[in-house]
Amino acid sequence: MFSILFLLLAAGVPYYILLEKKTRLNSKSIFLLSGFLLLSAIILSLYVENEHRTSLVIVSFASAIYSIYKATKTTNFYKLGYYLIFVNAPFFILFEGAGAMYSFSLLVSLVGLFLIGKFYEKNYGSANYRHITGITLVTPCVGTYLTLYLITLALYPPFPNALFFLSHIFNSEPNTLWYIIVVTLFFANFSLAMGVMRATLFGRPHSDIHYVHMNSKEKIVHFLILMLLLTLSFFGLKETLL
Amino acid sequence: MGTGVLMEKVILLIPGIPIFIAFILFFVRKKELIPKVSLALSSMVALLALYGTYYVISNDTKIIGFDGLLIYNELSAVLVPYVAILGLVIRKYASKYMWDEAGYKRFFILLNFIFASIYLFVMSNSLIVLALAWQLLSISLYLLVSFNVGSKTAVKNARWTMNIHKGADLVFIFAIILTYKTFGSFNLAVLSEKWLAMSGHPVENPMIFVIGLLFLLAAMMKSAIMPFHIWLPYTSEAPTPVSAVMHAGVVNVGGILLNKMAYLLLLAPGVLNIAFIVGLITAIGASLIMLVVADIKRSLGYSTVGQMGYMIMEVGLGAFSLAIYHLIVHGIFKATLFLESGALIKWARHDSNLPKRLSYKLFWEDKVKSNSKQIFNYIAFFTIMPIVAFIGIKMVLSEEFFEFNAAIIILAFAWLTGTQLFMSFFKASKSYSTMVMFALVGSFIMILFTYEFVGLALEHFIYGDDALLFYKAATFNITMLMSVAMLAIIMVVGWLFMYKQYFKDIPKIDSEPKRMKLLFYKFLVKEGYFFSLFKVFKKGKL
Repeated sequence: MFSILFLLLAAGVPYYILLEKKTRLNSKSIFLLSGFLLLSAIILSLYVENEHRTSLVIVSFASAIYSIYKATKTTNFYKLGYYLIFVNAPFFILFEGAGAMYSFSLLVSLVGLFLIGKFYEKNYGSANYRHITGITLVTPCVGTYLTLYLITLALYPPFPNALFFLSHIFNSEPNTLWYIIVVTLFFANFSLAMGVMRATLFGRPHSDIHYVHMNSKEKIVHFLILMLLLTLSFFGLKETLL
Repeated sequence: MGTGVLMEKVILLIPGIPIFIAFILFFVRKKELIPKVSLALSSMVALLALYGTYYVISNDTKIIGFDGLLIYNELSAVLVPYVAILGLVIRKYASKYMWDEAGYKRFFILLNFIFASIYLFVMSNSLIVLALAWQLLSISLYLLVSFNVGSKTAVKNARWTMNIHKGADLVFIFAIILTYKTFGSFNLAVLSEKWLAMSGHPVENPMIFVIGLLFLLAAMMKSAIMPFHIWLPYTSEAPTPVSAVMHAGVVNVGGILLNKMAYLLLLAPGVLNIAFIVGLITAIGASLIMLVVADIKRSLGYSTVGQMGYMIMEVGLGAFSLAIYHLIVHGIFKATLFLESGALIKWARHDSNLPKRLSYKLFWEDKVKSNSKQIFNYIAFFTIMPIVAFIGIKMVLSEEFFEFNAAIIILAFAWLTGTQLFMSFFKASKSYSTMVMFALVGSFIMILFTYEFVGLALEHFIYGDDALLFYKAATFNITMLMSVAMLAIIMVVGWLFMYKQYFKDIPKIDSEPKRMKLLFYKFLVKEGYFFSLFKVFKKGKL
């Protein structure tokens, strides 16, 4: 019973297909809803043991594969945010207890990405990053934070996603399904994050766009997210090394 | 805690210092201060590294700390000062070279991250720390290679680099998982002792071969060994200091990894044989392509790939310490080449011809007709002299030097490619053949002597008596007689080729090249059709 609840809350089934069809719910709301449900799953896993069944892992993996496909098609930060929640759902189920920490750090990095999306929406009209190129050159502060979030999502240390991921895979018993999931999601997270990097961080600045810098309030918020990520990294490092 | 003990622990902070520098640079507002801060604090790293080396040599001990996660041992004592001094030179060079580039601060921050990851990699005593450093290196390299974010080709080539390095990351992680499952520890010192103890008995666990092979694969990807080499020659659009870091630092991590895994490879001689074969293919293939590609930076890229091939060959023959020496020497040489390129451009602007350096004055001459009957005399001389020098140096030094027999063959290869590259830059005239001949044979004797002398000294320092075990494990190791015979063959073929290729004569207009020769040339110019194959699969996206 709880396994199925975990599967639903942790985005193991692509319920966004239905939500996307509802015109009242925009991509921002779907991100917030799926993020909230994942947070609920994380909190629930503190009280209820998250034991996975192979069939549920396969279901979540199938959902992840579909979400990877959807994520490659989007250039919207909000959509990419919730697709990434669904892409990483098999880790939550497969990693059991350790999966909660991984998912939490994923959620924190996605909040950062979501705020970057909001920044784009406020200044460039929408959270769509297509054609908004050369951010690294013209607005270095936005570029730095976005780079850090994307490095985190691409599973690179010293950020917590990579550390919790490594911690789990070093301490688990691999089988064929485990290998397939780990390899697929290892490359999927990387490819999706690198795709965003190439699309908006890199490239020549667009001459028709008036690039805007972050204001102090936004800088503080992103700095706090970064600090939270580094704090999680500290715990991740402890868990991985000791 | 005593001062000595405190200093010991401070040495282990070396990997953290560049990260600290990067953090400080993030808040530095004045552009002028960026290189100053970076250089001043990096000098500290170099001094600490030198002190650490002095400490390890004088006390004949290792420094271990952070719960055994980091170690400053003999290998670190050799490599960390090298990387630190190289880093200092590159930073100093970049402080002016990068001044007008957009993202000056970003460059220095990323440079510090890449050096932090190299230090961490060299000083790690845990497979997990090794994995973290390995991945940190990948992402830092990606951001540096794509530094010119406005350039489409730079970004595209960085993407290739990243894909291969991500593959290396995954293979490396799997190798670590299997190592832990098989041997039950992440600690490299513990594992090395275990592997050394196991080497006394026959080992029949196929998993050890798989682990060794995975580590070799990861090393091949990071060190641009064929067929994973494509990332290196195509990243020349990165700023020159980045090229210097890549060719003198990043590509070496494959060799360093195999040295860290030396005791494991004792148990898997099959992996050493594979290393030798892939190294040989890479050395020959890359060196041939290097000679025909038109782009000089790409030519240097292929030269590095070829040298990495030699390095892996040395590992395959059990000459682990020689591989370390080779990567240091090659790193210094290649970094110098890259860092001098700016000055060369400056001189070339004043003089339409090549700058008149010593080598230029010695070897350059207009193409004139000369007596080509002397060719056989020259070849005989070129063949006999190096062999006499090889045997002579071995006799002069000591019996122990005979352990390097196989490695000498590689050196001969390396020297031949080096001279080929040299000759392709500086046309030599037949009328000056004697001078050229003496210069090149002299260089061979020098290379032979230093490799023998320094290689053995390093071997004693890093591995002590265990070094002999590696030679025994490497089944491709050969006898003195075989090495002399092979040396003679290499010299005859190599020199014949070079003489015909570079010692210029008046070309005969009526002679037509042979079809097979043309096809082979086309194959090399197209870089083995590597990219054409990709284009077929990628529908022209590349």
